Amino acid sequence: MLQINNINVNYHHAVQVLKGFSISVKPGEVTALLGANGAGKTTVLKAASGLLPLENGHIEDGDIIFDGHSVRQVKPHLLARKGLVHVREGRRIFAEMSVEDNLKAATYALTGRKAGQGIDQVYTYFPRLQERSRQLAGLLSGGEQQMLAMARALIAEPKLILLDEPSLGLAPKMVDEIFAIIARINREQNVSMLLVEQNARAAFSVSHQGYIVENGKVVLEGRIDELKANEDIQTFYLGMGDADGEKSFRDVKHYKRRKRWLN
Amino acid sequence: MAQVIQYLLNGIMNGALYALIAVGIVSIFKSTKVVSFAHGHVIMFGAYFYFTFAVILPGAEFMPDWVAKWEPEWLLAYKEGAAMFSPKAAIAAWVSNLPRIVLGLVGSIVCNALLAVFIERAFMRPLLGQSSLSMILCTVGLIWVLEGSASLIWSADIDQVPPLGPNFPIRFTVFDSQVFLFSSSVVNFVIALILFIGLMLVLRYTRSGVAVRATAEDQSTAYAMGINVPAVFTTAWVVAATTGAIAGAILASRNGLSPTLGLFGLSVLAVVLMGGLDSFAGVFIASMIIGIFEAFTQWQFGGEYAEIVPYVLVLLVILWRPNGLMGQAEIERI
Repeated sequence: MLQINNINVNYHHAVQVLKGFSISVKPGEVTALLGANGAGKTTVLKAASGLLPLENGHIEDGDIIFDGHSVRQVKPHLLARKGLVHVREGRRIFAEMSVEDNLKAATYALTGRKAGQGIDQVYTYFPRLQERSRQLAGLLSGGEQQMLAMARALIAEPKLILLDEPSLGLAPKMVDEIFAIIARINREQNVSMLLVEQNARAAFSVSHQGYIVENGKVVLEGRIDELKANEDIQTFYLGMGDADGEKSFRDVKHYKRRKRWLN
Repeated sequence: MAQVIQYLLNGIMNGALYALIAVGIVSIFKSTKVVSFAHGHVIMFGAYFYFTFAVILPGAEFMPDWVAKWEPEWLLAYKEGAAMFSPKAAIAAWVSNLPRIVLGLVGSIVCNALLAVFIERAFMRPLLGQSSLSMILCTVGLIWVLEGSASLIWSADIDQVPPLGPNFPIRFTVFDSQVFLFSSSVVNFVIALILFIGLMLVLRYTRSGVAVRATAEDQSTAYAMGINVPAVFTTAWVVAATTGAIAGAILASRNGLSPTLGLFGLSVLAVVLMGGLDSFAGVFIASMIIGIFEAFTQWQFGGEYAEIVPYVLVLLVILWRPNGLMGQAEIERI
């Protein structure tokens, strides 16, 4: 579905963010991208959705293949019309427009395609939005705003959704609700997703495959079951210590050493 | 009482003109978040294009005579015996000017649209995604480029152009007092009103309006959602320039045509700030308030004060409401 081959990305030709970065998203699967702040996860999504040039970002080498075609030079609105939709970090809903107008704006992604599922179909995933369809989007709660951001993506009849931190700033209960919807969309609409998350436990609950990113490189990859079993991931992403409590400093150093070796 | 109504009417007619200029600034700001300081000078170009197509071109040798002065039999018959300055004579004069007025309007609208596309492609689009401050400063630079090239292409002399509507005084009685208006002012007022209401309805109720508002709020997100943001930008500039062409033709027919026309457009920016940069309704109200205020100041204190007092009012309003009368403040999360 999406294949990122060995790309180097920098901002302002000065700050190198991704170095020889490669991942692949398989059709119908949810792929998780985990890593610390500043690892370059969001940059990966922006590179895929064509937003990098707007922020003085440049893809120097490598290629990005979506649906069999290179999309390195394609403008963002054309990508959306091809079915690659980006739900951005911090939701980025249109606060001064009503919920319905937000969804109407999203129908521009259907330009040049057969009419997609209507707004009503999308409301079946988000009944709460239907109740508030006339309300200004800026007045929705954080969780509802995240739902709106995902509803906008769904309107576009996507083949691939790039989801950037859907759990950001949400209460644990709301996180569960959002991820339940993510799993349901993936299952029922057969949409592939590339999911960037800090909340590893939530991400693992819906993903099939995962990548761990550090300093602009993939340091670990595998099927979710393998990753869950990995001792480092259990310690540093899932917060599971050994039975006798915290890991000692020596083990942390072991982790660092291991990472350096992987680099 | 008669004078109050008289100055009130004068004010409203002036206000309509401000509104017509302001509409372009608002339409650019609403979609691109750029305050176009050069809008007054785009209007000036519209006025010069109108002059070119309505005065210079009909006077050229290769043009048939009827373009410059259209006098069919029935018009001569109609005009027969009409007194000077009577409505009949004014309408007859207008009809015989009609071919060149239409030619002038079409020409200036088309040329101004091309000018807008050029400005947008050459100076605005490369700055897409940068802070809007850089685009705003770019429009400030455009002021002098446009002013300089206007006096290069045409001349700095004051020229006359035909008015858009027939021009005769209308006298009527309100509350037992005589007031009068120029019919061309009424025509200007109606044009401004139609443009304003039309744009407001399009923006609020159509799908294209949704695209414009989405772009206004978050360019890059709108772009990533399938909205062709560069096309929205171009459209906004074209809308501004075409309404500006009409405003330019009206201004030139009222005050005469010279490169200083651009500065008048610039002063309307204050009116836009008072109404709220992103509110068509607010800007319309502000235009009327300033127009009326100006007329009353002129009446009570004389012309020198009319240049200052309304703008003091603008400052006070901005102190009271920093986003303008009806400008939208950022929505706070509740």
